[in-house]
Amino acid sequence: MIEVDEKNLIRCPVCEAVNIDKDKENRCRRCGSPIYKYRRFKTEKSWAYLITAIIAYIPANLYPMLVSTQFGKTEESTIVGGIILMWESGSYPIAAVIFFASILVPIMKFLVLVYLLISVKYPLGKDKKVNKHKLYYMTETIGPWSMIDVFVVAILAALIHMHNVQIIAGTAATAFALSVFFTLLAAQVFDESLIKENR
Amino acid sequence: MKIENEDALDHLIICHQCHTLHEEIPIEDGTKACCVECRSVLYRYDSRLIDHGFALSLTTLIFFAVANFFPLVQIEMLGNEQFITIPMTFFSLFENGFYVVGMLCAVVLFLFPLAIFVLYVMLFLMLKLKKGEDLSRRLLVWLSYMKPWSMNDIFLISILVALVKLIGYAQIHMGVAFWALAVFVLLDIYMTKHIHLKEIWMLRKQIFAEKQ
Repeated sequence: MIEVDEKNLIRCPVCEAVNIDKDKENRCRRCGSPIYKYRRFKTEKSWAYLITAIIAYIPANLYPMLVSTQFGKTEESTIVGGIILMWESGSYPIAAVIFFASILVPIMKFLVLVYLLISVKYPLGKDKKVNKHKLYYMTETIGPWSMIDVFVVAILAALIHMHNVQIIAGTAATAFALSVFFTLLAAQVFDESLIKENR
Repeated sequence: MKIENEDALDHLIICHQCHTLHEEIPIEDGTKACCVECRSVLYRYDSRLIDHGFALSLTTLIFFAVANFFPLVQIEMLGNEQFITIPMTFFSLFENGFYVVGMLCAVVLFLFPLAIFVLYVMLFLMLKLKKGEDLSRRLLVWLSYMKPWSMNDIFLISILVALVKLIGYAQIHMGVAFWALAVFVLLDIYMTKHIHLKEIWMLRKQIFAEKQ
């Protein structure tokens, strides 16, 4: 017979098995993966990825995403420029989708992660009725959707390379893809159990 | 709370969305149990999980193969005809020197989805034959690491967005692979919704406990 306190039960982030929190050297009894891998650096790893992502997001908005050549005339458009162009030409749904995927989702994700990372360290929003687990879960679900713009550029670049008309990806595509990649990583290494400890 | 040994912890579930602690109870075949706090699905019970899972993952793999070998879309523009397949999208990125984006696309659109469903097929086969206790554990761990990095559903929407952009400039014909990809995405969503890795873990424990 073992006596366990319900508060000491933690979930393995890999296989979701319930484990008893033994503080140091936690290994999941079912799949063997370490839980609390980052016990000593609680949030630092997540911060590092997040800051990288935010830095990469700046060139993603400054450099052109799409470079199109039509009969020798070259046109470059950034993410925001592309959205404005599409809005003006009347494709409102597409403009809205791209705006949602490449502006709203990344910025929301940055803000939510910054909020979560701060709130697990300092007593911020402790008595508010914000369900941080749900907030985290939501950002994890909608996060990958910001890849839409990168995929669209990849498809257009592959599809349109003819004699007179050509589309190639711009520098921003790399920056944007990196930004999305690092936000996904930042969310993944974020230790969810910290939310519980600081509730 | 008192428990017999650590194994008894398998009767407890922490909700993956809101982290509420639940106790597992036996439920009827084909039904699901939901979290009391946030109503998300905790687990399902399917008495023929291995057969269903094996059939589903094999079907999905076949549709994945079709989606990658056949033309996705074909356009006619200024008298030129052009078509693409899924691998061509990342190969053209490589050709233009976008190695980082190309790698990322190749991984999330091709390598990981392929690996995930190959692993599923292997896993269900192993459970069916009741072999490979250690390997099946490793496969399950790999699966849970790879699952968030498969983005074919997003790619499907991206195709639609790209094509809407081209309306008016070119004539568009949808290829076989587009429909195969759509079916693949639907099957993928169905599988993530209905077969949780947690249930496979439980099944694995049960099968290898019976064997001993």
